[in-house]
Amino acid sequence: MRLGRYELTLEPRPAVSAVYTVLTAVVAILLALALSSFLFLSADASLLGAYRAVFSYAFFNPRGILATVQRAIYLLFCTYAFLVPLRAGLWNIGLPGQVFAGALAAFAVPFVLRAQEAQTLALAPGLVILLMVAAAAAAGAMLGGFAGLLRARLQVNEILVTMMLNSILFWLVAYMIKEGGPFMGATAEGEGFTLPAPLTAPLLRGVPFTAALALGAAVLLDLLFAKTALGYRIRAFGENPAAARYGGISPVALSLLVFLLGGAFAGLAGYHAFTAVPGVYKIPGNYGFYGDLAFYGIISALIARGSAVGAVPIAVLFAGLSLGARFAQGALHLPFGVDYALLGLLMMTFIASHALYQFRLAWRRVPSEVLQPAPTELPEG
Amino acid sequence: MWDLLARSLGASTIFLFAALGELVNQRSGVLNVGLEGLMLFGGTAAFITAQTTGSYPLGFLAGLTIGGLLGLAHGFFSITLRGDQVVSGMGLWILSFGLTTYLGSAYTGPLGLARIPSLMGLSPFFLVGVALVAITWLLIFRTSLGLAIRSAGENPAAAEASGISVVAIRYLCVTVGGVLAGLSGATYTLSYNPVWNYNFLMGWGFVSLALVFFSMWNPWILLAGASLFGIMWQLSLSPELVLPGVLSRYVWRTVPFAITIPILVVISTPWFRTRWGLAKPEALGRPYTKG
Repeated sequence: MRLGRYELTLEPRPAVSAVYTVLTAVVAILLALALSSFLFLSADASLLGAYRAVFSYAFFNPRGILATVQRAIYLLFCTYAFLVPLRAGLWNIGLPGQVFAGALAAFAVPFVLRAQEAQTLALAPGLVILLMVAAAAAAGAMLGGFAGLLRARLQVNEILVTMMLNSILFWLVAYMIKEGGPFMGATAEGEGFTLPAPLTAPLLRGVPFTAALALGAAVLLDLLFAKTALGYRIRAFGENPAAARYGGISPVALSLLVFLLGGAFAGLAGYHAFTAVPGVYKIPGNYGFYGDLAFYGIISALIARGSAVGAVPIAVLFAGLSLGARFAQGALHLPFGVDYALLGLLMMTFIASHALYQFRLAWRRVPSEVLQPAPTELPEG
Repeated sequence: MWDLLARSLGASTIFLFAALGELVNQRSGVLNVGLEGLMLFGGTAAFITAQTTGSYPLGFLAGLTIGGLLGLAHGFFSITLRGDQVVSGMGLWILSFGLTTYLGSAYTGPLGLARIPSLMGLSPFFLVGVALVAITWLLIFRTSLGLAIRSAGENPAAAEASGISVVAIRYLCVTVGGVLAGLSGATYTLSYNPVWNYNFLMGWGFVSLALVFFSMWNPWILLAGASLFGIMWQLSLSPELVLPGVLSRYVWRTVPFAITIPILVVISTPWFRTRWGLAKPEALGRPYTKG
């Protein structure tokens, strides 16, 4: 575009500094929050009052804070599940399916051991809990690994495969917990059986042990990518698969590995959501909501630009926002779905910030010999 | 039996419109994995407009417009900015999924207008779909514009050298693709199942995307694939018509998705690729930089 003597062009940004990366993330989030003002226009409160309702519930109300922490753990596992394959340039949008697989596997352990009631428990509860965690991670990993294997061996599009698996697992959960399915609760129609109290995840000040797993994994993942040969291979493969192959990196093993790891994290998210959050402790009838929520993991991994530690504050913020939005929705009589709309707005501002991240606007003075002298007078006649 | 078939072809139409648009898109070299999002947004806009104005034509117009605008947005990101097409497509999908849930929530429920008349139970849109298949085939394989579209998707540099504006062709195709995705969504919410619910598609868009790969980028094969999947979809909704009492209805719902995966695997094998895989646009998903 030319403006007078200057030309405005979009050109690729050569190298991006860390400060600029953080800045684009912050701007994307703030912009989404600003845009969400439109959602609050129909609220029974002033704009400021609406934001205050969201934030005060999520971050200052004692009940709200606990709920925010619980949800942040869930979102963090989902974030890693998307982030690890993304570093290898692959898209794991199968988070909901892997979450459901993890949940089904976790509940299969007490089901198989006939330990739905606390009295009939034969094994030590700690051991059963350990088995449940392992089963959830393994089930998620298997589902993810299936997509990874197809991608690795035959270049089958991983987006399509994981999306199909999401739908398959969604209906399988419905089969398991509804209309007389094997996992159906004894008293309630349409939801899974409730976990006996000894088998629920142990809490420390109301926070389950999965919090430690989630935070530990953030550090380990960033170390993996920054300091190890394997992490280097994953990054190299993600940035330039062809060059990585010439460098002796096996695409098959890597694609499989990142999907196994990602799927395991999503399986843990499923374990956390349904067996570690006080007040849930079962697969509820609205389990589909947790699948939708998993997509926040995609956006927080994208905004964190692949840094697991960087994703921690983002996941906490998103957890608080999505909870606070639900709360404000009831308190201020807003339409349903403010938390979904926020997800959409974040995605929109991410894409915009991504463009600014990759490109910059450049002002250039156009050399005067290129400029045609503009006619200043009307021709005669 | 005829009722079931007619209803199945109604379902096929939804797949067909969306996949046909994506086919045109991909023929020009642009991949839009956010097809489901375009359908969701188009369908929701059509539903809200039709319900508030009481007019079907206005509803369709809204759906087509929103679809086209989202297609253009994808074009801006992937053609002008030369961004990653998967990032943009996924972004559009999640954007639409989130925003339509909020925007449509007040309209949850039936449309409440007289149904669009059918021809002995068959949706008139299926005939529109067949006509569009013929038009698309003629356009792509029998016109100079079609040649330009195909060359933009196969070898954009060579196309540019022969005087074709790759940018203009690709913009045209992403817009057409978006309009057809909007039409697909609008047909769903106004004719096939005129009840709005959040995320009402639940995977239709992704199945349509898979159908484009199955079709080997040929509109007639796409028509066959869409018809087959429409029948399968309808059967999975009411399995008692064929196999009453066998397996839970929830298990049947997984069938169309479960069948998609082995088909994707077969068309991805080297055996298949070397024989029939040549139809895939060579420059699919790759941004074009004018040299």
